Amino acid sequence: MSLKDLLSPFYVWQRAFEKPYTSMRPIQERPGSAAYRGFHINISEECIGCGTCHKICQNDAIDMVRVEACEGRSGDSGLRPRFDYGRCCWCALCVDMCPAGSLRMSNEYTWITSDPTEYHFTAGVEHTTWQENPLGYRRAEDYHLYPPRRIGMEMRPPEESVQSFDEVVLGYSESQALLEADRCIECGICVATCPAHMDVPDYIRSIRERDYEKGLQLMYRTNPFPATCGRICTRRCESVCPVGIQGEPIAIRWLKRFIVDQIAPQDYARILADQTGDSGRRVAIIGAGPGGLSAAYYLRRKGHAVTVFESQAMAGGMLRYGVPSYRLPDPALDKDIDYIRSLGVEIRFNTRVGRDIPFDELLDGYDALFISTGLTLPSSMRIQGEDHPRVLSGLKVLDDVASGRDPGIGRQVAVIGGGNVAMDAARVSRRLGAEVTILYRRRIADMPADPEEVHESREEGCRIVTQAIPVEVLNASQSDQVALQWGEAEMVQDPRGGRPRPVLQEDRMHTDTFDCIISAIGQGGDLGFLPGNLQEQLAIEWGKFIPGEYQHTALAKVFVGGDVANRTADAISAIEDGHHAARGIERFLNPDAPAGSEQQVN
Amino acid sequence: MNTVDEILDYAIDQEQQAADFYADLATRAEKAGMKNILLDFSAEEKTHKQRLLAVKAGDRELTPEQEVLDLKISDYLVEVDASENISYQDALIVAMKRERAAFQLYTDMAARVPDGKLREVLQGLAREEAKHKLFFESEYDDRVLQDN
Repeated sequence: MSLKDLLSPFYVWQRAFEKPYTSMRPIQERPGSAAYRGFHINISEECIGCGTCHKICQNDAIDMVRVEACEGRSGDSGLRPRFDYGRCCWCALCVDMCPAGSLRMSNEYTWITSDPTEYHFTAGVEHTTWQENPLGYRRAEDYHLYPPRRIGMEMRPPEESVQSFDEVVLGYSESQALLEADRCIECGICVATCPAHMDVPDYIRSIRERDYEKGLQLMYRTNPFPATCGRICTRRCESVCPVGIQGEPIAIRWLKRFIVDQIAPQDYARILADQTGDSGRRVAIIGAGPGGLSAAYYLRRKGHAVTVFESQAMAGGMLRYGVPSYRLPDPALDKDIDYIRSLGVEIRFNTRVGRDIPFDELLDGYDALFISTGLTLPSSMRIQGEDHPRVLSGLKVLDDVASGRDPGIGRQVAVIGGGNVAMDAARVSRRLGAEVTILYRRRIADMPADPEEVHESREEGCRIVTQAIPVEVLNASQSDQVALQWGEAEMVQDPRGGRPRPVLQEDRMHTDTFDCIISAIGQGGDLGFLPGNLQEQLAIEWGKFIPGEYQHTALAKVFVGGDVANRTADAISAIEDGHHAARGIERFLNPDAPAGSEQQVN
Repeated sequence: MNTVDEILDYAIDQEQQAADFYADLATRAEKAGMKNILLDFSAEEKTHKQRLLAVKAGDRELTPEQEVLDLKISDYLVEVDASENISYQDALIVAMKRERAAFQLYTDMAARVPDGKLREVLQGLAREEAKHKLFFESEYDDRVLQDN
C-alpha cells in the first residue's frame, strides 16, 4: 500500500468547508401546479356519505367510516371517506365521480412522518393543513362521468291532457329506461330514505340487465303496490338522490313503473311464486287501502287467513277514490290489488265496521286486527256561510268523478287549499270544462302538494292565487252561484321560529263570484267505529293513532297504520306501515319464534 | 275593580275558570283522543294562572310592551258549540275565541281607565291574552290548516 492510499480517506476533509452540492430537504418549498392532484379535500357539510368515491376507486384506497357529527341528517349516511395514501394513485377518479361535488384535491403533496400508518386520514373531518387550500385539482363544471340530466318523460301536452282523463305520463320506452338506469350510481342513499326501504339500486340494475322479472321480485319484497307507486309515489328517494345535487335525480319512480309495465298480470304468479299455506290463524283488517292490503299481502304469505272489511264498493281506498285516473289509471291500481287478492285475501265490500258489523265482533272473532282506515273526513273551513249548497268538498268531487257521477261544479270554480287533494280537484275541474282559480293562504313554496302537480296544474290552465285567505261565503246574485270574500295575506316571521305565517290584511279584501267553491283544506280520520271504552285504551292524539314499535297498540291484538296513524299520509308510508304491522302481528301470533324471525315477513 | 290587585285577582280567577271549563268538557268528551287534548288545554290555562300569581307576588313582570303577533285566524271563524261531541278543530276554535274575548275585554278596560299603573296592568294582561291567542292560533295553523 502506498502512502497516497493510506492518506486518501483524509483527503475528503479538504471538502468539509466547501459549499455543499446537496440541500437539506430534497424539495424546497416547491409548490405543485395550480391544478395538481395532491392530497384530498372534502367539504364535509356538502358530502352526504354516498360512498361513490369508495366504489369507483380502482385501488381500494378509500374506506367509508362513521363520523358521529355527520349522523342524523336526512339523506346523509353519516359516513365519510377515509383515504389510504399507501394505495392512492392520485388518478382523481373519485373527484370526477363525486355526485355531491364535495370532493376535490389540493396541490399539496408532501407529508413527512416517520410513522407510515399515519398516511390514512378522513378528509374534511381530521385536521390537515391542506383542507383550506384553494389550489389543486377540481372537476370542471361541465364535466360529468354520467349524464347529469334525466331522460325526459313523454307526457301529453296540457292542451290535450285537459280534454280527457287519460293518463298524462306516457312512460319510458325500453331504450329510454336503459339510458336512465345507466345514470344510477348505486349508492343506496335512496334505500334508507324510502319509507318501505325498497331495494332501488338493485331493481334499477335489473333494468340494465334487462331482467324485469327479477326487478318485480325485488320490489315485492317490500312493496306490493309497485304499479301504483310507479305512478304516484311521493318519491322521497328522488329528493335525496345524490345525482340530483348537481343535476337531476334518477327518475326512480318512472323506472319502477317501467319494470311493472313490462310484465303482464297473468305472469305475476309464476314470477313471484308466493307460497301461502294455512297457519290456522285469522286476521281481520279494516280498510282496503294501501296500508290494509299491504298488511294483507305479507300476512297471507305467512299463511294467515286474511279478511279485509271495506266500506266502499271497490278496493284501493284513497288511491281509487281520491287519486284521479289521469295520474293513476284503474288498470294499474287493479294490477296490484288483483294480485294481492289472488293469494286468497278476502275483501268484504260495502261493509262499514261500526255500522254493518260491530267492532267487537272483529275483536272477538279474529286472532289479530289491523286498522288502516285512512283520512276520509274533509276538514271544514269553519267560516261564515260555508254551509252554502255551492260549497263542495274536494274529497266528494274526486269521489264523484272516480265513481262516474257528475259532481256538478259548473264553469267557474274556486278551489281552496294547496295540498294534493286541492290540485287533483282543480285538475279534475279543468277536465270537466271549468275555469279554475286555486286560492292558497301561503306561498307556492309552502304548498304541501307535489311540486310536479302544482306545475302541471298551472300548465293545464289553473290559476293559482297565493297568500289568499277565505273569509266568508256569501250568496251571489244568481241562486246557482256563490260569492267568496277573501283577503290578501302578508307572510310574517313567527317569533317562536318555524316557517312564516300568513296574516290577513283587512284593508285588502276581495269578493269574487263562482259557480262553486271546492274546499280542500285537509282531512281527518273517522274513528267513530271504535267503541267508547276502547277509545280510552288506544293512544289517539289529534285524531290519529300513536302506534308502538311494531304498529301495535295497548290492546294486544290490535295494530294500526296508514294515514290514520302516521304523519306523512302518503301511499308509500301506508304500505310500509302495513308491512311493518304484518311483522308485528307475526310476532304476536308466534311469540315463541326466534327473535328477529318476524323480519322474514317480506 | 279599582286596584291592581283586584284586577289581577279577576284575571287569575278567569284563568282558573277556563281551566275548569276544559277539565269539565274533558270528562264529557266522547270523541276519541279528545279527553287528553282538553286536559292539555286545562293544563295550559293553569300555567297562565301560575304566571299571573307570580306577577301578583312580584316574582314576574307582565309581558313587556311589544307587539304580539296577531294571526287573525279566530276573527273570521264561526262560533262553535263546546258540546260532548266536540272535535279537535272545534276545541281549538273555542280556545282561540275565549282568548280573543279576554284580550278584547282587557283592551277595552284599559281604554276606560286613566293613565297610570292600572292601565299599564290592564294593557299587560291584554298582551298576555294576545300571547295565549297566538299559541292556540299557531296550533290551528299547524294542525288544522295543514293543506291550506
